[in-house]
Amino acid sequence: MSSWALFLPHGRLKVKTTAEQQAEKEKERQKKLQLFKAGTQKIFEKRKIKEYDDEGLSISGQILQANPDFYTCWNIRREILTQLKDERTEEEFQQLSQEELYLIENCLRKNPKSYGAWNQREWILMFMPTPDWERELQLCNRFLDLDERNFHCWDYRRFVCKHSNVGPDEELKFTLKKVEANFSNYSAWHYRSSLLPIVHPSCERNSVAEAILLKEYDLVQNAVFTDPSDQSAWFYHRWLLGRGNCFIFKLFDLDYFVVVCVMK
Amino acid sequence: MLTKDVIISENSTKLLLLKKHQDYLSAYGVKKDNYEYCMTEYLRMSGIYWGMTAMDLMGSLDLLDKQQILDFVRECQHVCGGIGASKGHDPHLLYTLSAVQILTIYDALDVIDISGVVDYVKNLQQEDGSFYGDKWGEVDTRFSFCAIACLALLGRIDAINVDKAVEFILSCMNFDGGFGCKPGSETHAGQIYCCLGTLAITGNLHYVNADLLGWWLCERQLPSGGLNGRPEKLPDVCYSWWVLSSLKILGRLHWIDKEKLVKFILACQDEETGGFADRPADMVDPFHTLFGLAGLSLLGDQTLKEVNPVFCMPEYVIHRLGCDLQLLNV
Ligand SMILES: [Zn+2]
Repeated sequence: MSSWALFLPHGRLKVKTTAEQQAEKEKERQKKLQLFKAGTQKIFEKRKIKEYDDEGLSISGQILQANPDFYTCWNIRREILTQLKDERTEEEFQQLSQEELYLIENCLRKNPKSYGAWNQREWILMFMPTPDWERELQLCNRFLDLDERNFHCWDYRRFVCKHSNVGPDEELKFTLKKVEANFSNYSAWHYRSSLLPIVHPSCERNSVAEAILLKEYDLVQNAVFTDPSDQSAWFYHRWLLGRGNCFIFKLFDLDYFVVVCVMK
Repeated sequence: MLTKDVIISENSTKLLLLKKHQDYLSAYGVKKDNYEYCMTEYLRMSGIYWGMTAMDLMGSLDLLDKQQILDFVRECQHVCGGIGASKGHDPHLLYTLSAVQILTIYDALDVIDISGVVDYVKNLQQEDGSFYGDKWGEVDTRFSFCAIACLALLGRIDAINVDKAVEFILSCMNFDGGFGCKPGSETHAGQIYCCLGTLAITGNLHYVNADLLGWWLCERQLPSGGLNGRPEKLPDVCYSWWVLSSLKILGRLHWIDKEKLVKFILACQDEETGGFADRPADMVDPFHTLFGLAGLSLLGDQTLKEVNPVFCMPEYVIHRLGCDLQLLNV
């Protein structure tokens, strides 16, 4: 994880090593570091004289695979790509853009939570001649299979849907598939809460049609009974109760904290 | 369902190892060819802010080389007014805020071109009230916080459209009362801190459903005492900051079990090297060291200086500025 905060490497277990292992590792790291430093220096020099070319793409690509949160390095790539868009034919630039997508995917496979890499992906999709949104949606599906709570990927998915023809009704179906696979998928419940009032609006603002609410209520009750300690369902449940217009829901809402405490 | 959590061993540290942390932080960065140090050059400005704030909270700010730090900050400002993470790195709101925090603590804002900073921040505001992180156009509520905290420290909040900025923050509010990165994004404790901070600085906390959000926040506490940042995630020391400061802003700090949380934070210290890790037995870093200490300070540790829950800076500094903040009371 990186970028100011939510954002440093996390979960690195401290391993006890011998002095010998330590020295060996340090030697390896110093070698890597020398390459990294030389690459960084080179790319900064090329930028200074505005030498935007394939070599620059190659060097910065290597740097970023080692450190995808080096934001200035992504910026340099954008400068290079911006210039090459003018210099190359559309076909050639489409090819370059695809290579960019490939590099980003490599970075993401190593660090699926890199702000810099996800950010670059949005940028190149908007910048390339012919983006393949279907392929991007598949990528989201794959990354969400690996980690169903990756909020970068969920955000990227919403970006893809917005720019392609994926409607909120299709996405609502997707969230159903996700919560049915695992009731504890808070990210999917969250997404559902924003889609439901759009797909099934009632006359009141930010409310949901009554018949749908009852079906939804069944779904979440099912989740609560499957695992009463699961917070995801409780928060969604609490929200759902505030969406209707009928008296019973309003009444429920008032006593909610009491109800939750008793059930837990 | 199995709760994701850690187990704190019986013989984990129960004392705050102040001296160790001072040694760890004052040695950090002395060896300039250290691998970790070099690989984190892209966030150096924030790294310095984390380290020096931690040192100040421990009452040992004078162990750092003030002049060297001031020179470094000066070298990182660009012609556009924005400040980068390190010399030669591009300007960004994240590092512009860190730089302003550093200079505010040292009471040395004249080191940089302040009106340049104000212009830089102002020009990043968009029509919908949001802020770009830099000229490339990424939008995130973190950047709204960076912009507004930065201007508040400079006493120049008038430079931007505050109503619009608040409107954008509110458009990121979710079904659980929390906030995400942008409209539609899932609630995350780090983003909640940023959004509540923005609302506290601008005096707009009345828009928040404090009971609902307080409930979500206190549910972050796990049996080990540690806090996580989202449901069904592992506990992490940095969330003792994002969650605690949010609860403090909402006036609901007493909704969590303080004693258990203190025990968790103390268990994340490294007795050998000093510093705090995200979880017991993990590798330490300056980031978790600051947030471990800041969390303990919010929990009332008397050996540390008081920390301000909105700026994550020593309270005496904010007091000196005469900065006005809204906090809720229950
Ligand atoms: Zn952390």
